[in-house]
Amino acid sequence: MTALQPSLACGIILLVAIWVCWISFSQAPAEAFLFPRLISVAFVALAGWTFARVLLDPRVAEGGITWTLVKNILPGVVVAGVYVFFAAKWLGFYTSSAIAFIVILSLYDPAPHDQVRAWLKRVAVTAGYLAVMYLLFSIVLKVFIPRGLFI
Amino acid sequence: MEFAAYFGEVFTVPAMLLLIGGTIGGLILGATPGLSPTMAVALLIPFTFQLEAVHGLILLGAAYTSTVAGGAVSAILLKIPGAPANIATTLDGHEMARRGQGARALQLAFLASLVGGLIGVALLIFLTPVLAEWALAFGPSQLFWLAILGVTIIGSLGTSSVVKGLLSGCIGLWLATVGFDDILGVQRFVFHSSLSGGISIVPALIGLFAIPQVIAMFADGRRMSSIEAISVERHPLSRAVRELLSRVRAVVIGTVSGSIIGLIPGIGGQIAGLVAYDQARKVSPERDKFGTGHPEGIIAAESANNAMVGPSLVPLLTLSIPGSPTAAVLLGGLLIHGIFPGTDLFDNHPHVAWPFINSMLIGQILMCVFGLYIASLAARVALVPKSIMAPIVLGLAVFGSYSVQHSMGDVYVMAALGIMMYFLERFGFSAAPLVLGLILGPIAESNFIQGSLIAEATVGPFAYFFGGALNLLLVAIVVASVGYSLYAELRARRTAVAGGDAP
Amino acid sequence: MKHVIAGLALVLAAVAGTVEADEYPDRPIMLMVSYGAGGATDFQARIVTMTAGNEDALGVPIAIINKPGAGGRVGWNWFATEAEADGYTLAAYNIPHFIAQSIKGGVEYSKDSFEPIANWGADPAVFIVGTESPFNSMADVVAWAGENPGKLTFSGAGLFVGHHIAALQIEKAAGVTMQYVPTKGGGAAAMKAVIAGDVMAGINNLSDAYRAREAGNIKILAVADIQRNEEFLPDVPTMMEEGLDVDNSSVNFRGIMVPKGTPDAIIDKLASIVPEMFMNSRVLGKMAAGGSPVHVMDREEVLAMWEERDAYLRELLKDL
Repeated sequence: MTALQPSLACGIILLVAIWVCWISFSQAPAEAFLFPRLISVAFVALAGWTFARVLLDPRVAEGGITWTLVKNILPGVVVAGVYVFFAAKWLGFYTSSAIAFIVILSLYDPAPHDQVRAWLKRVAVTAGYLAVMYLLFSIVLKVFIPRGLFI
Repeated sequence: MEFAAYFGEVFTVPAMLLLIGGTIGGLILGATPGLSPTMAVALLIPFTFQLEAVHGLILLGAAYTSTVAGGAVSAILLKIPGAPANIATTLDGHEMARRGQGARALQLAFLASLVGGLIGVALLIFLTPVLAEWALAFGPSQLFWLAILGVTIIGSLGTSSVVKGLLSGCIGLWLATVGFDDILGVQRFVFHSSLSGGISIVPALIGLFAIPQVIAMFADGRRMSSIEAISVERHPLSRAVRELLSRVRAVVIGTVSGSIIGLIPGIGGQIAGLVAYDQARKVSPERDKFGTGHPEGIIAAESANNAMVGPSLVPLLTLSIPGSPTAAVLLGGLLIHGIFPGTDLFDNHPHVAWPFINSMLIGQILMCVFGLYIASLAARVALVPKSIMAPIVLGLAVFGSYSVQHSMGDVYVMAALGIMMYFLERFGFSAAPLVLGLILGPIAESNFIQGSLIAEATVGPFAYFFGGALNLLLVAIVVASVGYSLYAELRARRTAVAGGDAP
Repeated sequence: MKHVIAGLALVLAAVAGTVEADEYPDRPIMLMVSYGAGGATDFQARIVTMTAGNEDALGVPIAIINKPGAGGRVGWNWFATEAEADGYTLAAYNIPHFIAQSIKGGVEYSKDSFEPIANWGADPAVFIVGTESPFNSMADVVAWAGENPGKLTFSGAGLFVGHHIAALQIEKAAGVTMQYVPTKGGGAAAMKAVIAGDVMAGINNLSDAYRAREAGNIKILAVADIQRNEEFLPDVPTMMEEGLDVDNSSVNFRGIMVPKGTPDAIIDKLASIVPEMFMNSRVLGKMAAGGSPVHVMDREEVLAMWEERDAYLRELLKDL
């Protein structure tokens, strides 16, 4: 069943399209929703066509997600998600970036975790990254960055 | 030949230092994923407070020129365009970089930028009054058709199937309607407070391109690998020059469409690269190679987006109407220095206007020289391990989307769109048409509403939207573009069916 | 480890709290402008804050951040709901824009969501036509609009901004209906529509119109204010002189405000320094060069002006 995942993906898109269409046609004032209505009709038509084609002709189905892929990206996506949606605002940009950097580096760097040299290298790379960011953004360009408990 | 008299002011020590500094700084900022050219120019404005007006302008002009070209670096090496102008560059540029031809791609990009840029500035110098009239010929109805023309090229951008391209474009058009409706001020599709400001282009661009790349870097897990585990080929400059000369058609198409489209206020700068790319593909005998790492794709896109720089200043300098988001920031910088674009500028401040324009001419050359110098170094970015590159890009993405409007909401939107795009890409959808929809949606909508209001009061909708030579010409191009795409799709399917039954 | 971080955070927060009022400001301040770069509000905000870093002013620079969209609603909504009330987040206000929008509803702010600091300018709305236009006075415009009801198209920066208020007043005073065309992209886009001939006339800011007229692109027929503007447009009559009962309600007052909840000590400090900063000679020189009328008001005067505009606009917009 190689077409299962593509069918599911196209089905979800079709559902989103129908939902957008329903909202566009049910909300007032009509003038403000004229353009969304036009778009959503095309959106539903195209999504429907894509979905139907995948169902009727599994040969056009393409793409999919394997279990190995999920296992590989999951730790990184979770760390990135916590960093972006939560830590950046709570801890401040530089602090959270440094933590996210070293965690992601440790998760994906192939060097063994029981080696002191590998850890020293990770800390050094993180410090270098932080220094360059701070120099460029806060010293040279004087840009605002998200502030939290720390900077 | 008035302009030639003012070259002396460019070749003074402070002016040259600023020009060189602005060019190098602009290249670096433009090449940094997450920092858009508009942002880079905005960041430089406070620096100009301490300078004389003409020097401040030279700095801003140099930054404008070089950030647009610098954007090609991250577009090619990381598939992360710095601005909408660089989207088309990612399509072929990144494929070349994946094959280890990053240096060749970058050299071609900078050389093409130089040719396009010089011609664009030359147009600004010699034809400004004529071109200003042309820029004004685009009213609401013409801009509406132009946006529709942009929509018609959506389907053919970077996807395997036209329908999927159009569907991606529709998602983009829908996302563009989120937030306040720009004319009536009604809130639409706002389900979370982060969305009340709408989805701005820069955070969306970062999210849709950078985040899928970051996730893709995670995909290999803990294995020793650089971004692309292929050695970086060295590429002699002379070969790049010869290659550019042998692909004159792409250069001409890129430069011509870039200059024409760049002139049109409000839409030009954003889509010049994509339109040029699309045109270059349609007339090329090797059109099947586009999207697989074909040099013509880079040449057309990059010559167009630098050719756009000069003409986009025409409406700005003559009528005070900025032609692109970066030009708007530049206008802000001019006004602060008490320089008010318009005929006044050339009549009363020629010692400011001409050195500024001349400096952009010199700036194009400096941009190319420094760009080529860093090209071979920059190509080595491909050797940085993924485990380091992923968190760097992630941090820059957060910074870049936050700093445009100082809004965490933009950061959340960026990340959410990015995760969505990663999964969409897994199923054969692509980011380029989605972003194009996001850019063109508001332009099409607001011009349609304005046009309708005017039409209602005057000649009626049909006469308004289909009246006049320019409207008819644009409609004809739209029809031709759609027809061509359908024809190409049918032909492709016939070949696929003919060969598809074989095992 | 958790305790250490939490403890550290508490100490930092406590230290920050006591120091705040005395040492404010100790880092750069941001000023949110709810219109795009290159517009009148944007460049005036940049000029009046350019000396903020001087020792006799705030001593730290003010950085401008643009949050354009929907006639200013996007920026002010953000300012009312998300901006931190710590004194480091300021915004530019435009009266009557944000008050009129809050009366019409659909936004999350009202005049009570913000605390004014000081006013820097008052930019009246003017009625403009292209240089080729047959209209040479408001009388011509009113006569044509009377003969062709609803057919005279004229542009302005959006719905329920100063330009739209002026448009409503003109229509009411002359007893005619015309087609108001709001543009996306603020005063610059509305100006482009007039110069390019997309619309027959327009309403725009005095400062932008002054420069466009200097450049020979437009004619200015009247100014919607009580008195003529002697500094920049001494030859342009007021609407009243042209026989239209239009007062100064649409005059675009621009100034600086902070979100409700900002500590009083910080508001007081800003309110005492900022008006001085606006009066800096370098600032005044740059404002004059751009045709931007300066009108400095302190916090008390602005509070009174907000009250008065609010009452008037409620009356004007009641039956719309």
